[in-house]
Amino acid sequence: MEWFWPEGFYTIVMVGSFVLGAFALKLPIAIALSGAAVVGALAGGEWFPLRHFVEGMFGYLDTILIIASAMIFMKSVQKTGLLESLAAWVIRRFRRKPLLLSVGLIFIIMAPGMITGSSTAAVLTTGALVAPVLIKLGVPAVKTAAAIAMGAIYGMIAPPINIPAMIIGGGIDMPYVGFALPLLVCTIPLAIFSALLLVYPSLKSGAGDEDELENELRRMEETPLSARLLLPVVLLAVLMTGEQLLPSVWPALGMPVNFLLASFSGLITGRRFNFLDASTEALNEAIPVLGILMGVGMFIQIMTLIGVQGFLVVSVLALPAWLMYLGMATSIPLFGAVSAFGAASVLGVPFLLALLGRNEIMVGSALSLLAGLGDLMPPTALAGIFAAQVVGEENYFKVLRYCLIPALVTALWAVFVILNANTIMGFLP
Amino acid sequence: MKLKGTPLTAVLLLLAAFAVAALAGLNFKAMWAEDDFVPAQGFEKKMLSAWFEGLAGTPADTPVYIQKGTEPGGVVLILGGTHPTEPASMVTATLFLERAQVTKGSLIVIPQANLLGFTHNSPQEAHPQSISFTTADGGKRTFRFGSRLTNTIYEWPSPDIYIHPASGQQLPGKERGNLNRCYPGVPDGSITEQVAYALTELVRRERVDLAFDLHEASPEYPVVNAIVAHERSMELAAMTTMDLEAAGIMMRLEPSPKNLRGLTHREWGNFTETMPVLMETGNPVQGRLRGRTDERLALTGADKAYVKAAALGRLYIPYEGDQKIEYRVGRHATAIMSFLLNLDLLNEERGVLLENIPTFEELQENGVGAYLAPLKL
Repeated sequence: MEWFWPEGFYTIVMVGSFVLGAFALKLPIAIALSGAAVVGALAGGEWFPLRHFVEGMFGYLDTILIIASAMIFMKSVQKTGLLESLAAWVIRRFRRKPLLLSVGLIFIIMAPGMITGSSTAAVLTTGALVAPVLIKLGVPAVKTAAAIAMGAIYGMIAPPINIPAMIIGGGIDMPYVGFALPLLVCTIPLAIFSALLLVYPSLKSGAGDEDELENELRRMEETPLSARLLLPVVLLAVLMTGEQLLPSVWPALGMPVNFLLASFSGLITGRRFNFLDASTEALNEAIPVLGILMGVGMFIQIMTLIGVQGFLVVSVLALPAWLMYLGMATSIPLFGAVSAFGAASVLGVPFLLALLGRNEIMVGSALSLLAGLGDLMPPTALAGIFAAQVVGEENYFKVLRYCLIPALVTALWAVFVILNANTIMGFLP
Repeated sequence: MKLKGTPLTAVLLLLAAFAVAALAGLNFKAMWAEDDFVPAQGFEKKMLSAWFEGLAGTPADTPVYIQKGTEPGGVVLILGGTHPTEPASMVTATLFLERAQVTKGSLIVIPQANLLGFTHNSPQEAHPQSISFTTADGGKRTFRFGSRLTNTIYEWPSPDIYIHPASGQQLPGKERGNLNRCYPGVPDGSITEQVAYALTELVRRERVDLAFDLHEASPEYPVVNAIVAHERSMELAAMTTMDLEAAGIMMRLEPSPKNLRGLTHREWGNFTETMPVLMETGNPVQGRLRGRTDERLALTGADKAYVKAAALGRLYIPYEGDQKIEYRVGRHATAIMSFLLNLDLLNEERGVLLENIPTFEELQENGVGAYLAPLKL
């Protein structure tokens, strides 16, 4: 009881206030989170700590800007006709090769995440490009969204850039060196598994009515695919890779500016569109998630202020050894509901310290994989919610249902890798 | 609940947002007020831009205090405040600044190395904005607490990935604002890289023989209660570790990893002639296992979450309920004094000796505030 009081009580008060606001009062998630933060601060004797509320929200400033600009990019390439035109091109060439197509498309979804370390970037770029292809070829929209979400998360964890691994390594001053192969071990088998589970069966059985598909393909090809139409995507790829490959000469523009420049370039390609209208539409769709991020920022700051964070982390570390693996496989993704990067920092580092003695690079890689799963976890669920938006599905929970098996396999694979870290590392060159 | 918006609710919300922004803005702005320091007699104040003009006129240009003894000798640097979330670092440097009487050689003290880190707090860390001490005359000395990183206003936007210019090492983008990842620095780089460059220039041009970079670490971090020494500093560090252990202060001795780049103990060793030494004490307020986060925790280190973590065997320090700042400052101060004696022993010509620094026992008995100079009102 001495351990539980008062931080355990505060935990119940904060989580309870959120559940009450979100589910009983049916408040928007962002408002329910903010309200829970205010109630937590009052319960913890901090009254109304305005500075903490505002400071907590600033933790997501960069993420909010990336999401807003990436949404504008996605709307722009949609309006120019690029999305449909490119999808039609891929369908014509690869629809008779379902195995190659399903695995290939998952790797294409992963690519921007591998370069930027952001699952959101993957969902809103190649995820948006791949979505119409899969849907037209007969993959149900919710399964398509699940495949995009999982691919984006594996992309975020796959090398060369994995920010959760950098954060976890940084916590014990372990340089981000030698992670490439361990991260491939963590992600590639899972990416192939997800492709075979979510995409391949539908592609193999075909889209059904060939005439209808042909008509649809002709409609999609109204704006012909050309180098000029591809300009926004090519420009974005150049801007994203340039910063990584030529750091000494390339200006660090940051992802929001990269997305905006690529969006602007859409104005001189394909169908004409009103940039202001497209941006307004994009932001209208993004605002609920942006609000959630700000609410989460307030929530986590108050959790830290009144001691709930320490209570939770030490409670998980106090689990008996056999339960600790279960604890890390559940607590890290669950904490990802707040932020995958936050989970890497708050839980990933203590778990890595608890597992010292096993190969740290392999363990850090597997822990980053668990942190990546956090991007599926509501209410933030950055990868999942945007994947649902990309396919036009309003209810994210329908998508999450199809992510459950790949997510479970991912968590099991991460634990397997941790348990056998030294052996697996021994097999790697 | 369906929330219905009207023009009136929009106006009211906007007004509320302005009010929140204004009140929070005033609070954040207050973090820019400079801390007061009362240098002991004999210290000359310069600015860091004296060693790199590019910093002149920028808010990162931090004061550098130099005191020369009557007897010729070497040069020693005490660098505090690299990470403002590690208060024993800044407080130890302040203790030397406000008390030291140099009898041999020269002492350079920089209490707030990353001045821009003291102007804000890190989001979602819920750290206090300041810490205070009661001085011998009953007065109060207050110092800002700050953030581990340079103020975002001057380091924004962060790159996606920070690629350390001298080595190509990759770190999360925000680490470009971490002074102790930016050495040896870049003259035309980001503001933090420029500060690192200026400090490296100071070490090089002043021919600093022994350079201390004072830090704190989480109790659950393996390199804590430790000295991290470059190859060149290792003999001196080994002698000091033995002396400290004989005095009952247990200290780990860690070699500076050659592949961990951007830190003082590696880059000052590689790019200057100094003997760099980084020291860490255990500081719960920066740990990930910490409970309620406030000024009390920063000063006492008393935390039931750490008591439980210690019982679970998760910590790398002996933790018996607290880690007072007197203890942490006492470790740093005693270690520095021991290093100085050993430096004089190893190389008398380049020795630096000083007086008037309280002992470890005196700090525990009387508290840190008793040894800080009262502010003249």
